Formats: sequence, structure tokens, C-alpha cells
Amino acid sequence: MSVPPSAVLPDVITDGATGRRISLLDWQATNRRLSWLLGLVMAVLLGAIAYLLAQVTNPASATFFVAVAGTLGVGQTAAAYWFSDQLALGAAGARPATKDEHRYLVNVTEAVAIGAGVPTPRIYVIDSPAPNAFATGRDPKHASIAVTKGLIDTLDRQELEGVVAHEMSHVKNYDIRFMSMLAATIGVIVILRDLVLRWYQFGALGGGFGGSRRSRGGRSGGDGGNRGQGIMVILLVVLLVLGPILGTLLRLAVSRRREFLADATGAYITRNPEGLASALGKLAAYQGEGLAVSEGVRHLFIVNPLAKHNGVDLFATHPPIQERIDRLHRM
Amino acid sequence: MATIVVLVILVILALMVIAVYNRIIGLENRYQNAWSQIDVQLKRRTDLIPNLVETVKGYAAHEKAVFEEVAHSRQAMMNAKGVNEAAGAANMMTAALGRLFAIAENYPELKANENFKMLQEELSSVENKIAYARQFYNDAVLQYNNGIEQMPGMFLAGPMNKKPAVFLEIPEAEKEVPKVSFAS
Repeated sequence: MSVPPSAVLPDVITDGATGRRISLLDWQATNRRLSWLLGLVMAVLLGAIAYLLAQVTNPASATFFVAVAGTLGVGQTAAAYWFSDQLALGAAGARPATKDEHRYLVNVTEAVAIGAGVPTPRIYVIDSPAPNAFATGRDPKHASIAVTKGLIDTLDRQELEGVVAHEMSHVKNYDIRFMSMLAATIGVIVILRDLVLRWYQFGALGGGFGGSRRSRGGRSGGDGGNRGQGIMVILLVVLLVLGPILGTLLRLAVSRRREFLADATGAYITRNPEGLASALGKLAAYQGEGLAVSEGVRHLFIVNPLAKHNGVDLFATHPPIQERIDRLHRM
Repeated sequence: MATIVVLVILVILALMVIAVYNRIIGLENRYQNAWSQIDVQLKRRTDLIPNLVETVKGYAAHEKAVFEEVAHSRQAMMNAKGVNEAAGAANMMTAALGRLFAIAENYPELKANENFKMLQEELSSVENKIAYARQFYNDAVLQYNNGIEQMPGMFLAGPMNKKPAVFLEIPEAEKEVPKVSFAS
């Protein structure tokens, strides 16, 4: 019965639209558990892919392949845990904000951090006119928040507080750790897929597909081996093609729910749902130059950097902004 | 057999008492730490005032009444002891600074002064942080009070001599957050 770190927030937040009550403490625990589960799933997946890869090319080296994949998996998980925030900030072209240059932003962030009861995160600025923001890191003590120049210029103080509080909620709810791990998992599978595709293009895996089967038949030992190889190749392709898609769908599904929850938590921190609602309205109305960031970090942002489409989209990383605004108005 | 059952029950009871005791202490520490957050901001504001007064005097030296009021509230702030006195002095200072900034509106050259603009942003930001820290403090007090007034904490609050803590009042004038934007 120790005092949980977020006890100053209400333990339960009511989802404005569905009326469903979500316990923030459960949510945080789930996020932490899921983060480690993802690491495990990634290790197993990598092992399976490596084993299949070995079966297709050279069954005798299966142990070697699995060992390499295992090391890669562990290494990638560790890297995601420690360095994914730096990677994301780098990919978004963010640079540290200074008190002299960005006094307004720094002050607002410090204030919201006091209200949320978390240490002030490191603050970064992205030199883009498109108003947007994201948070990254592994826990509230090692968190970063990045906002674009356009966001600072477009929003007034209460709106900026709303957006910063939304990002602070991702930090507090451990969404940031989960997202980092998920991105890393998908990243490794994508890298492997591309590697395999390239090998295939250069004929290194040709044996499995029949093209140069005869010339390689001796190595894998007869027709039975070849049939087995065919199945292996299909499995491998399925795993490598479907893996990233499934991962992405999972990411999108959880990320949409996370956005709603962060909106609700953010509104609670500032005690001012209208600030965030009005900010989201401005973000949605923005028609200027887009924010060029790689696919890997797009889901981190408060609004989709590219989005100009409406309606329910299976591949949307974010819920429709109007729905988020409506829910905030109802709080 | 019966002895073992009694022993087990006693051990479980003892563990429960320890858990409740730790929770109450944890909640108490939290709300007391929350006060220090407010205190840091109040000190920061007190430190900013001499610089602000100097800057304003350069343009509006004859507005003596308001300078005196600010100096008086600063003195009260520095002499304040305990949460309630500090909170009272802080409200007084907020009112005095509000008047000072209202007067500054009449001096366009002052408003254009870079140093003044910086101080104005710093002070409105400190106000803002005080508001957030006060909100956090009140949240923590609510948790603590609930912790000692509800089951199971209420059974230990008496023996531990814990009394409900007092909420910080939010002054009427301050509920309206000033809309200041320094977007450049």
C-alpha cells in the first residue's frame, strides 16, 4: 500500500464519450507490462525468423542464425530503452530549447510539470511552421517534449499549456516507453524484411523458390528437403510481410486510445479542457506547409503531421480531431 | 493448532497496520513537499521584484504609491512564517504586482523595454506556476485528508495524532487567469 506516484491525479478518469471509467494506475501498470512483453515477443519473433532463414539457406548454421538474431533482439530492446528518445528527437530534427530563446515555452512547460507532479522534462524545439508536438523517453525522469516553432507562434498561453499537458500525460502514463518499444520491434522486423528481400533479389535465396534449385539441391539433401524448404520460404515471407503490418495495426489501435486518454489527463492537469480543445481546433485548421518527418516517428505527434483526410481510417494513428474536441467539450 | 491460527492472524494484522501507517506518512510527506514547490516560486517572485521596480522607476518614477505597496508586500513575504502567513502575503503581493502592471499600461516606452517585457513574462509565469503548485498542493491535501478520514486510515489517524490539513484558498481575483501571450 505504498503511495503510487500519480496519486494526486484521480485514480479513475471517465472517458467523456463512452462513459467508461479507466484507472490511470492500471493503465500505467499495463503500459509497463506490455513494454516488456513486447521485448519478449520481439525476441521470439526474431528467433523464429532466424531459424526459418537458416532452414532456407543453410540448416547447419541454424544455431548461429538464432544466436545472432537473439543478440540483435536483446541489443535492440536495450537500445530502444536507453536511446530511442534521442533517435526520435534526431529523426524529427529537434534541438534543445534554451531559456533565453524560448522563455515562454520553457516557463509554460515548467508550470505544467508542477501541476502534473512530474520533473520538468527536457524541452526541444523543431524549426517548422506546422504546429505539432510529441513526447518521448522511458519514464518521467528521462522524458523529453518537443514542440514545433509553429506551435509556439500559433497558440496562446492556455492553448500551449493544454498541448504540453497532453504530452506530459503521455510521459506520466508511460505511453512513451511503450511507444518506443513498439517502434523498435516493428523497426527490427522491417529491417529483416528488407534484408531478406534484398538477398532474394540477388538470388541468394533463389534455391528455395525453385529457380536454381537443382544447383543447390545437394546442400539441403534431396526432394523432401526442397519441399520443406518451400514451406519454410512461404512461412518466412508471411512472417516478414505480415509482421510489420500486424505490428502497425496494433500500434495504431493502441495509439488512438492513448490519444483520448492523454487528452483527458491533460485536461485534468490544467483543469481547463477548453485550452486543449481550442488548440486542437487550431492544429486541425492549419493549412500551411506540412511537417516532414519519417514514418517511424509520425505516430508520436499530437496530431498526424501529414493528415488531411477525414473519416475513420484503419491506418490513422490518431482519432479524428473533431471527435477529440467534442469529448473535451463534454468534460 | 489454535495458537498457530492466532499467530497468523496477528502477523497479518501487524502487516496491515504497517501498510496503513506507511501510506499515511507517505501522503503527509507528499503534501508537505508540495508546499515547498509553492515556496520556491514565491521566493523566485520575491527575488524578481527589485529588478522590476528599478526598471519601472526609470519610466514612471512618480508612481510612488504603488512602489510602496509592492515593497510592503515584499517585506511581508520575507517575514512570513508558516503556510498561512506566506499564503496571505503571497496574495497581497499578487494584488500589488497586478496594480503595478496596470500602471505600466500607461507608459508605452516602458512596455517596449526589453528588460521589462522579460520581467513581465517571468512574473506572469511565476504566477502561473504558483497557481499550478497550489492546485497540486490542494490535491495532495485532499489525498492526505481522505487517507486519514476514510477507512482504514481513520483507525490509525488518532493514535498517530494526524489532523486534517487545510486547503489553500484561491483568491477571487486570481481565478481569472490573465491572458498574456509573448509569441513572437
